[in-house]
Amino acid sequence: MSAADPRYPWSGAPSAARFAGRRALVTGAASGIGAAVAARLALEGAGVAGMDHAWADISGRAFVARLTADVSDPAAVDAAVQAAATALGGAPDVLVNAAGVYRIRALLDISPDEWDEVMAVNLRGTFLVATTVVRAGMGPGAIVNLSSVAAYEGSAAEPSGAYNASKAGVSSLTRQMAAEWAGRGIRAVAIAPGVIETPMLRLMDDPATGRRYLESAVPLRRLGTAAEVSAVVCFAASPEAAYLTGTTIVVDGGLLAE
Amino acid sequence: MTAASPDPAPRAALVTGAAAGLGEGISRRLAADGWAVALLDVSPEVLATAVRLAAELDLPGGRLRPIVADVADAAAMDDAVAAVVDTFGGLRLAVANAGIGGPSCEVADLTAADWDQVLAVNLRGAFLTCRAAARVMREARAGSIVTIASLFGRDPVAGGAAYCASKAGVEALTRSLSLELAPYGVRVNAVSPGNMATEMHWEELRARASASSRGFEVELEAARRDVPLGRHGTGADVGAAVAFLASDDASYITGHTLSVNGGIQRT
Repeated sequence: MSAADPRYPWSGAPSAARFAGRRALVTGAASGIGAAVAARLALEGAGVAGMDHAWADISGRAFVARLTADVSDPAAVDAAVQAAATALGGAPDVLVNAAGVYRIRALLDISPDEWDEVMAVNLRGTFLVATTVVRAGMGPGAIVNLSSVAAYEGSAAEPSGAYNASKAGVSSLTRQMAAEWAGRGIRAVAIAPGVIETPMLRLMDDPATGRRYLESAVPLRRLGTAAEVSAVVCFAASPEAAYLTGTTIVVDGGLLAE
Repeated sequence: MTAASPDPAPRAALVTGAAAGLGEGISRRLAADGWAVALLDVSPEVLATAVRLAAELDLPGGRLRPIVADVADAAAMDDAVAAVVDTFGGLRLAVANAGIGGPSCEVADLTAADWDQVLAVNLRGAFLTCRAAARVMREARAGSIVTIASLFGRDPVAGGAAYCASKAGVEALTRSLSLELAPYGVRVNAVSPGNMATEMHWEELRARASASSRGFEVELEAARRDVPLGRHGTGADVGAAVAFLASDDASYITGHTLSVNGGIQRT
């Protein structure tokens, strides 16, 4: 095999349109990892509905529908999932929960409101969207939830306790979805990215120093890209991963191996 | 290979334990994807396996190379990897799959010889496979390695201590090696299967059946019911996971153990 298929700039791997005829719903789809996942799913043949709490004018490519909803609001999620099913021609058979917020604050300084906000989007949002999609009639298919290496490690240097706990919750929730929904033919897999170049990534006051600091901590000596994470999300959602469920795939350049 | 590719990197792979079971499934998938594959096994059956796969996949000549060697023999593994590099012009993927289940036996009754044999194939064999491949890949600054761990390395069972310990060791080996080879851009990961439709698993079920006197079919059904997805895993399932980890789609994954077990959750 030589050059990559130009439709798949990230890889020479996909040999066919793995998602032809599939109906996908992606949350957090307006930016970062969610946007990259939506783009790759569309390139591989899926119809893609995107959900986000706000959309920039430039963030619309590749979507059958762009839906505006706060994932922590049950009524808004319900309306958005119905609209997605209408636009896609049926309930989604691929759901990617990528909506998330990140907050850096020491435990003693986190207000109850901020704790609740992080949990609302990252954990309650994942729960609400997934259960709403399954109630809407999701049949055999895959749910991929974005967790994080932060689920596994504490850090005093970059304290993000609420985020870390919410992402550990996402991995736990994924195991439960896998157990309860296997009988419906629904697989559930979590993806735990490490340090990825996205708008969520905050380099320090001095970006060049911050980048070098972060890169030096990663065994592969570089940050990951949203495209690299999207490639793993699409593997997990594809028939290639037909025997994977309930597990978390770590995409971190070796961070957790250390 | 026909490739008029400007990329000099040969898509050449070595799979150990390739005569049957998961190793055969992994080899089938890689060959179907266009890899040149060296199939290594201690059993001469691997010669027939290579002929069968070449016919089944209608492969051009020279795409598969069977090698009879013992993964626990250091000199034999060095020679085998040298032969693969010679034959295919390089080595870009090594899959350390060879393994044995060992006797179903409690630790109090396990002989040291049985313990040594399981560790020799499963852990020393993985080490020797990885060592020979790592030397080639470090020099080339390219390639990846996939080891085959097991659900039972993390969730051990009574009566399988040697197997469980050997597979836990494979995971630790995998992580150490991933850190050592990361600076060279070489990724090292494990695939961790659960209850697989292989002779090793049927042997285990026969042992359980004779211990419980419940019968093989009953034990088979119980093993299947343990799996939320309701079926045993296959060589195709593991082959797809290996192909993914070896691809550019996994370019930021290293030091990871990818579970391919149908959602089985043991505690």
